[in-house]
Amino acid sequence: MNQYKIMVIEDDPVIQAELQTLLDGNGYASAAVRDFSAVIEAVREESPHLILLDIRLPGESGFTLCSKIRTFSNIPIIFVTGSDTDMDELTSIMLGGDAFITKPYHTAILLAKIASLLKRVYGPGQNEALNWQGAVLHLESSMVEYGNRQAELTKNEVKILYYLFKHAGRICPRSDIVDFLWDNQLYVDDNALSVNINRIREKLSAIGLKDFIRTKHRQGYMI
Amino acid sequence: MNRKHDLRSLMPALLTNLAGMLALALFLLAGGNSADTVVLIGAVWAFVFIVYMWARGYQRKKYLDKLLLMTEQLEERYLIADLMMEPKRADDQVFYRILKLAEKSMLEQVSNLRLERREYREYIEQWVHEVKTPITAARLLCENHPSDAARAVLAELEKVDRFTQQTLYYARSEHTEKDYVIREVRLSDVVHGAIADNKYLLRQNGVIIETDDVTDTVYTDDKWVRFILNQLIGNAVKYRSENPRLRFSTREQDFLVQLVMEDNGIGIGKADLPRVFEKGFTGENGRSIQSATGIGLYLCRRLCDKLGIGLALESDGGGTTVLLSFQVNHFLHFC
Repeated sequence: MNQYKIMVIEDDPVIQAELQTLLDGNGYASAAVRDFSAVIEAVREESPHLILLDIRLPGESGFTLCSKIRTFSNIPIIFVTGSDTDMDELTSIMLGGDAFITKPYHTAILLAKIASLLKRVYGPGQNEALNWQGAVLHLESSMVEYGNRQAELTKNEVKILYYLFKHAGRICPRSDIVDFLWDNQLYVDDNALSVNINRIREKLSAIGLKDFIRTKHRQGYMI
Repeated sequence: MNRKHDLRSLMPALLTNLAGMLALALFLLAGGNSADTVVLIGAVWAFVFIVYMWARGYQRKKYLDKLLLMTEQLEERYLIADLMMEPKRADDQVFYRILKLAEKSMLEQVSNLRLERREYREYIEQWVHEVKTPITAARLLCENHPSDAARAVLAELEKVDRFTQQTLYYARSEHTEKDYVIREVRLSDVVHGAIADNKYLLRQNGVIIETDDVTDTVYTDDKWVRFILNQLIGNAVKYRSENPRLRFSTREQDFLVQLVMEDNGIGIGKADLPRVFEKGFTGENGRSIQSATGIGLYLCRRLCDKLGIGLALESDGGGTTVLLSFQVNHFLHFC
């Protein structure tokens, strides 16, 4: 798969490193600017697909950088800043910024913004279906398919399966799954998760997928 | 000025004239004038004196009354020295200069304080923006390395974030300039945003959330409303009961959209309910819980007043219901 490269222009070293960890962990390639006197050169050299840009930077401000980048490129730029005044937001839009996110941001919201911007600019990258051991999860139609048999899923069930498919082969702690669901505006608790998992298991075994989701005692679920 | 004071200020002139009259009378009598002549001269003197005193008193009263009225009608009364005409009498001029000097020194004080206040406000805003960087770094660190401890830290970070927001909005609510932007806002976005801001806190406390009935769209400032909801959610968690629940819904009335937040917490006592929006008021519940500051709801009320949102609180002992009423101008939809 062709990886999108995202450039992080942020002067706080911890945020810079953690953003790169976050992006790398979510299937993106990341690059960071270390020399703030030559940001434009770095952008030209790396030619990323998307830029995360802080406003307050040593040397030139994010606004100046944005207008400079716009002179030679139309890549999507997301402003990420601690200041949340309307003036800054307006300026960022006027200068050609595509989105404006204020610190402290939620990683889920940041990732969602990145994904939707990339999709808008570069078109849908991959088919909206996930594969694992012969089972196919269709996100658009909320269906899971195995062999020739299909089962319909509810909104919650699709989200849970999506998370398990994305982390296929690894153990998914229950708390992580609940975190993910909350990020997707499904406010379930631990009990509701168990109920949902049981329902998914019933549907899966009805189409011949027995013991597809395994319970790891005291750890979580795994497919 | 009353009559007693009037008489007292008349006294010196009266006594001087009486003494003069007495001296003249003695002098005239000694010079061999008849008593009639002396009485006549005395009467003429007295008449002229009374007419003079009356005319002067009348004029003076008119002048002072006008000055008093002018001051009373003035909004910023300390500016009276700038508005009044420069008096002609020598003693009045001294008072006039005193008034001028007093005004000048007060204006200097006021502008110094204003400047200090503005600088302090700017410092606070800057501080809030600075502190967001370490909060963001800490959040990222925790979210990249999920564990139970990290989740507990994230819940604490949400509290820190709420307090810093409170500081920022407190500083903002103080000044009269408007710094909000009204736009079309989907209430569900704001509600989900506020829940996301308190995700770990709500999860840590096992709060069950219902948001199914949040549908409407209103015109307001989303950041401010989100801040208000954050404070309300913080309260709902702080004053929770066992098996806490939080339900968000909207309902439409003629010219209103109401956002309703219901919890099943410990509620607010009848005696406390009318006073919860007062600054520094913590009430019975607040006293039993250490971290009550009496600022959150006060700020919510102030911001709501500025945005024209109706804020009402109901409690019947078994939980609290908060109602945010947004004006809907149907005319807008036709344009």
